[in-house]
Amino acid sequence: MITYRIQGHPVPVPEQAPPPQEGPEYEARLAEFEARIARGEKIEPTDWMPEEYRRQLIRMISQHAHSEIVGMLPEGKWIPHAPTLRRKLILIAKVQDEGGHGQLLYRAAETLGISREEMIEAFLAGKAKYSVVFNYPTPTWADVAAIGLLIDGAAVVNQLMLAQGSYGPYARAMKRICYEESFHIKQGYDAFVALATGTPAQRQMIQEAVNRWWYPALMLFGPPDRDSVHTPTLLRWRIKTKTNDQLRQEFVDQYAPMVLRLGLTIPDPNLRYDPETGHWRFSEPDWEEFWRVIKGDGPCNAERMAVRRRAHEEGRWVREALTAKAAQRTNGGGNGRYAVAGL
Amino acid sequence: MADTQWPVYEVFLQEKRGDPHVHVGAVHAPDPEMALILAKEQFARRGRCASLWVVPAEAIYASRAEEAEGLFASALEKEYREPRGFRVTERVRRWMERHGQSLPEAE
Amino acid sequence: MASPSLKPNEAVPLPDPLREAVGHLLLAMADDEVLLGHRDAEWVGHAPILEADIAMASIAQDEIGHAVLWYSLLQELGWPDPDRMAYFRDPPEFRNATLVELPRGDWAFTVVRQFLFDYAEKVRLEALMNSAYPPLAAAATKVRREETYHLMHSRAWVLRLGDATEESHRRMQAALEQAWPHALGLFEPAPGEDLRVAAGIQPPEAELRARWEAEVRPILEAASLKIPEAEPVYGGRIGRHTEHLTALLTDFQMVARSGMGETW
Repeated sequence: MITYRIQGHPVPVPEQAPPPQEGPEYEARLAEFEARIARGEKIEPTDWMPEEYRRQLIRMISQHAHSEIVGMLPEGKWIPHAPTLRRKLILIAKVQDEGGHGQLLYRAAETLGISREEMIEAFLAGKAKYSVVFNYPTPTWADVAAIGLLIDGAAVVNQLMLAQGSYGPYARAMKRICYEESFHIKQGYDAFVALATGTPAQRQMIQEAVNRWWYPALMLFGPPDRDSVHTPTLLRWRIKTKTNDQLRQEFVDQYAPMVLRLGLTIPDPNLRYDPETGHWRFSEPDWEEFWRVIKGDGPCNAERMAVRRRAHEEGRWVREALTAKAAQRTNGGGNGRYAVAGL
Repeated sequence: MADTQWPVYEVFLQEKRGDPHVHVGAVHAPDPEMALILAKEQFARRGRCASLWVVPAEAIYASRAEEAEGLFASALEKEYREPRGFRVTERVRRWMERHGQSLPEAE
Repeated sequence: MASPSLKPNEAVPLPDPLREAVGHLLLAMADDEVLLGHRDAEWVGHAPILEADIAMASIAQDEIGHAVLWYSLLQELGWPDPDRMAYFRDPPEFRNATLVELPRGDWAFTVVRQFLFDYAEKVRLEALMNSAYPPLAAAATKVRREETYHLMHSRAWVLRLGDATEESHRRMQAALEQAWPHALGLFEPAPGEDLRVAAGIQPPEAELRARWEAEVRPILEAASLKIPEAEPVYGGRIGRHTEHLTALLTDFQMVARSGMGETW
């Protein structure tokens, strides 16, 4: 076996044919790989892994990255209109973090042998999915607060799980992301409470935003377990450690009371606490709508993609210019030799 | 020209003077100086940072996973080169007990 | 309007014409920063590459943070609080230079405007670190430290884009031609300059402009950019603005002025 480098990360590839995905040698390696995961060890980029593991991770991490990038848009739209200087600063910092998370996630996916160019191209060509929730509109300032509490809350429930996953680079990215997400929920809750405890007009505005965002928040966890084709494999290899439905339940248990406590309502007639199980019962979102939106037919799919494509096209000359400039520069070396000499 | 996301630079961050530089991630950048400028806001916008290094990812030469076990595991006992391999304090104490040796005044 | 809450040990008694003169300087600085921060933040989610998006978002936050600081100094002198200042004044009451109200433009314009502004801020802050008004001197010292990154960032971008490709050069030259006269407007003396200079609050604006040109010209030339011969666009410091400020403030103030509530 030789290694080739995807932008610095040695990725094991076969000398000739792709590694066999069946047969006794494959079975032995698979057993070793699964035993490592069962022991709670992380898988690192240079380790042997089943092609399906690599494929699933690339799919999940790149979708996650695209979601962060698209996720900048619905809230970013409100940065110019933030109603106080403090809210403006917070919102810039929050949307900036989402870009930062996208950056970390693309990098984690790159360690699996795909480049950021390829991922972004697939995304802009409409060939990659991203979270459905970012295809819903944000018509008022209160949507920013509702997203901050409900969508970021849902994201944290999901991401705390992912931070326990078996792939080292993804789990490491998740750790930092979860840390920053806790700031997002705090700011979201703060903005949410400001409106919920404000004037009747503000209360009405946040109530309407809750009505808009409750079901998208439930959708964030993906399809129900009965329809989730990937779940059993993902669980076995600890790419995920909980099912979509488990996570959805955790979210409702945690966040429904936060909304109700403020005297607001949740648009679900079946929502009630079940003292026997200690959990909240709730209605599932409209899964037909979910599949429609994920396939591109949501209220804002076309707009979001158009905005991303335009930003990409308008930035092309900048990326090209700096590449050209770097080629002109003769001094390609570092200046750190004195710093490093002290090692 | 093919579109580009620029090459990758690995980023190492020293939290405070005296600490080691630790790998914290990577940035896509056209050249080392820009890599440093861009890394500053991606990896040091929160928390402490005393110094940053950026290294072209291509310059990293890594050990291979399939060799790791043979490379880093010691098969034989090598405790003789660890500080815990010595029981000298205990032997001094026993010798002092046996010979009724008391501690000098200054101690 | 809230009355000034000067704490006795922090208060620096300024006799009235001077108080107002210092206020005009602070107002110009605060309005410049808050609007530039707003414009920079228009890139969030839209920049040419992720890493640049992240860096620009930090710069936007820094500028708005500085604005809050200058508005707070104004508040100590008796002006309303920072949010009232930013959200409840109309265009003629703003005293920013027209440079910062111009639309976002392309990345070249953003880079050029930021570069010209960052160096103007540098020379201004370095002068104000010796200001006879101690709160201003202390704040300038603090902000100057944060400027180090901005200078490094905008200088690096100018030096690269200035002559990287034919297109980047063309865009940068056009941006410079558009921005330069408005950038000279950063040194339009705000009312009361004589008083401030006499009291040792600041050096004359003409002197700051000379220092600024000495800094930016060599860098622009190194980037193969030709500095236009142009008269400064003045008026911002006395409340005369382009139509862009009205549109900007409509965006900026719409929620705060919606009448839905006082606290957010």
